[in-house]
Amino acid sequence: MSHRILSLIEEISSIENPADFAGKKRLVIEELKKIKSEHDNLHFKYERSSKEKSIFSSLLIKTSDDLKKVSNNLKVRAEELSTLLTTIPAYVYFKDTHLNYMLVNQPFAELAGIPAAQITGKRIQEVFPGYKNDEYINKEASVIETGNALYDIEEEIEHNDRKRWVYSNLAPIRNAANEIIGLIGISWDITDRKLHEEELRQSKELAEAGTQAKNEFIASISHEFRTPMNGILGLSEILKNTSLATDQMDLLKGIISSAENLLVLLNDVLDFSAIEAGKMEMDYQPFMLDRVMEDISLVMKMKAAEKSLGFDIFIDKNVSNLIIGDSQRLRQILINLTNNAVKFTDHGKIEVHVKQIDHTQNKATLRFEVVDSGIGIPPEALDSLFRVFSRVKQNKSKLIAGTGLGLSICKKLTDLMGGGIGVESTPGKGSMFWFSLPFTLSNLHKQRTIVAQPEETTNFLKKFVLVAEDNAINQRIVSFHLQKMGFGVDVVSDGKEALEKYLAGKYDLIILDIQMPVMDGYQAAKAIREAEKGTFRHVPIIALTANAMKGDRELYLAAGMDEYVSKPFTYEILQQAINGLLG
Amino acid sequence: MILKTFSTDTVKGFIQTWNDHTSDGFHPNAAVIFASVAVDLHEMVSFLQTIDIKVFGCSSCGEFLFDDQKQSITEGGLVCVMLNLIPGSFDIKLINGRGQSSFDLGNKIGQWACEAFEKPAILVLASGLETDGEQLVGGIQHLAGKDITMFGGLAGDDARFKETFVFSETTLENNGAIAMVFNTKQYDIEGMATSGWVSIGADKIITHSEGNVVYTIDGEPALDVYKDYLNVRDTDLPEIGVEFPLLIKKPGSQDVLRAVTNVDIEKKLLIFAGTVPNGAVVTFSSSPGFEIIEYTRKKVREFYEKNQETDALILFSCMARHNALGPSISEEIDEVWQNWAKPLIGFFTYGEIGSNYNAACDFHNETFTMVSLKQKPDVA
Repeated sequence: MSHRILSLIEEISSIENPADFAGKKRLVIEELKKIKSEHDNLHFKYERSSKEKSIFSSLLIKTSDDLKKVSNNLKVRAEELSTLLTTIPAYVYFKDTHLNYMLVNQPFAELAGIPAAQITGKRIQEVFPGYKNDEYINKEASVIETGNALYDIEEEIEHNDRKRWVYSNLAPIRNAANEIIGLIGISWDITDRKLHEEELRQSKELAEAGTQAKNEFIASISHEFRTPMNGILGLSEILKNTSLATDQMDLLKGIISSAENLLVLLNDVLDFSAIEAGKMEMDYQPFMLDRVMEDISLVMKMKAAEKSLGFDIFIDKNVSNLIIGDSQRLRQILINLTNNAVKFTDHGKIEVHVKQIDHTQNKATLRFEVVDSGIGIPPEALDSLFRVFSRVKQNKSKLIAGTGLGLSICKKLTDLMGGGIGVESTPGKGSMFWFSLPFTLSNLHKQRTIVAQPEETTNFLKKFVLVAEDNAINQRIVSFHLQKMGFGVDVVSDGKEALEKYLAGKYDLIILDIQMPVMDGYQAAKAIREAEKGTFRHVPIIALTANAMKGDRELYLAAGMDEYVSKPFTYEILQQAINGLLG
Repeated sequence: MILKTFSTDTVKGFIQTWNDHTSDGFHPNAAVIFASVAVDLHEMVSFLQTIDIKVFGCSSCGEFLFDDQKQSITEGGLVCVMLNLIPGSFDIKLINGRGQSSFDLGNKIGQWACEAFEKPAILVLASGLETDGEQLVGGIQHLAGKDITMFGGLAGDDARFKETFVFSETTLENNGAIAMVFNTKQYDIEGMATSGWVSIGADKIITHSEGNVVYTIDGEPALDVYKDYLNVRDTDLPEIGVEFPLLIKKPGSQDVLRAVTNVDIEKKLLIFAGTVPNGAVVTFSSSPGFEIIEYTRKKVREFYEKNQETDALILFSCMARHNALGPSISEEIDEVWQNWAKPLIGFFTYGEIGSNYNAACDFHNETFTMVSLKQKPDVA
């Protein structure tokens, strides 16, 4: 620029004739304008540079401070990470995209038995000679390829002649540009856990086997108990029908009552055991509700009468009668609650109410209420009433007889059937136990008959029954009951004799004990049905059994029997079964 | 398209030139005016009210006009393009921004534009100190869609940072926006935006912000951080903050620049031209030097290659470019004139709105944003 100004000065100085100056003036001014513009621009750039220099210097210094801070932070982080890697009770390793180790932590190096620095750059087979788990290596490759982490990988490895179970998680590592540059693997030795799991599994199997053995034991002793119980109760019944002095009759009633209590205890323990083992299965069949209620009425009216109590059943008119459910379990709950009611009531009456509280096209929920005028239950006892072994103390010294299992079983049964159970009570005035159960409605709608009185005893005069029973006491009891009903009775001691008698004679009913020498009840029933083939005959057969476990009924029916009666049985129970077949 | 352009320094000069330009029977129906706050804008609008014209205008931070008469960049004056557009092919609307958010303001513009034409293109100007440009753009796109063609700028006030205006032929408004909508069946509206600013320094975190107001950066008062890092005084802001905007890192998409447009010295907070999200990772940024002129010229040539035909060009150039490049700013503007040799008017802004090809419109700072108006040949 100074060169151009100098040459301009030179040019102007060289003008000698003023007339020439006028001609050059325009050019000189143009050139001077250009020089000024360029000067201004340069001046701006200089000023700008000075300003920027100040700002950039400041930014540079501050940025340098920032970077120092970042660098220090990184150092701290690196140390933290290093400490973490060393102290974490896990095997941690980093691999590059070719699955070569880049870095491992101390526990990993100790597991491998090679210094950490020597592991860098090696492949897994070089670190763990003989490693053959291609599946695991494929998983690592998949993490590199897809960028998706993999969790919960378990594998069994063998290293230095020792087998270990290892649990691993794998995740990709990315650089700042978000490209995958390797993976991190974190593994834990779960050998102890695996051993523990195995022990637990074995323990569980043992426990299950124990439970199975317990169930079998209970089934077996229940059979063993029932036979003598049958004897005691049956003979007592017979004895009751002979002429006895008043004090003798009182003693006998004590024997019968004790035996019945023992029987209830036995049944409760059996049911409870089945429920606890998860083996209680419901048997849903169509049944007539009024028939069940009749049975309850029949049994409980007598019991109530013994304590001079009234007993009535009221069924609302809209209650569905032909329903599908487990009638045996319904019966059991009702018997339990009504028995309790009788037990805890000394004056007044027991009432059973049946109501339909919900109804859809094919379902109905029924509510059963057992109302007594007994001693009632203190409010503090209500909550625990349905728990196992809960028994209400009447006073400090006296407990009402019972196992404490009855209500607990009722609750479990209503639960299993999808219903509910509860109680309302006022001490001194009485209690109302209720339970509700859902039932499926059967397609066949039949008229319900109101239960009021037990049916008249059917007279079976001139009908003959063949009884096969090996136990002499039971022979006597069955014969006694049947003769009382009016039957003519033939008794034999095993199935073979029964079959022979059947083939030779003509009977209206056959009662077969199940466990008998020579030929048992099943075989006898099958043989009889075999003999009936091609004829129009079908003699009803009742199984008489001490085997009261679930599933037995199907076996009897499969063998061709029509009904079964569980020992020990009362006159009424036997009569009901016979009425159902011949009545 | 018939049009005439002129520049002047005063309202008197404006009236004189306007009358001269229409004395030959030229009847413009629209005008685009960019004027310094040094010009008496009230008086100018009073004159505009007396003539039958629709006006799209705002205050500036320096203006420029390049045509076959002159190629000048001025401060304290005004530039005007008088247009004779196809009747019914455009409309102009000014909306007062008081009592509503920038987003709501934008939303109203978007709704109006969509009601005006099936396929509208929008030019928009907004008061530079009151408007969050990002929210304004978001509001317009809310109804008009992300792919709406839209260009514009935020009004300036000669770097006084006190009061910025938009105006129509009837109204002068210091808080609001004015939009000009074109029917794209009759006009081609294409444009470009380029910056060249670069990130400098370490990452910082916005630790407290609300919308476009930043309270703290890395836990320190925002104003202190700016003063500290740039080694400047209170009074150097916000102007120096326009030149050294924050670059907001947006992982997975383009980083954006946000310039300071206002400060609150007592509360030590900074107000930016667009939203600065809470928790955002930012750096300072700066023009790398005079080489960005060459970068801009290259971008202009690339745009010219694809859009050689035009009737007129409007340029929204950030005032920070002018500050950073000084007289050399004329080199990048002159590149436009050299390529098209068609009338170009524009102003130095407090923020720009626009996009490149195939990109959604966005709000920017520090850019050279240009739009080309071209009447389609078969729709006269």
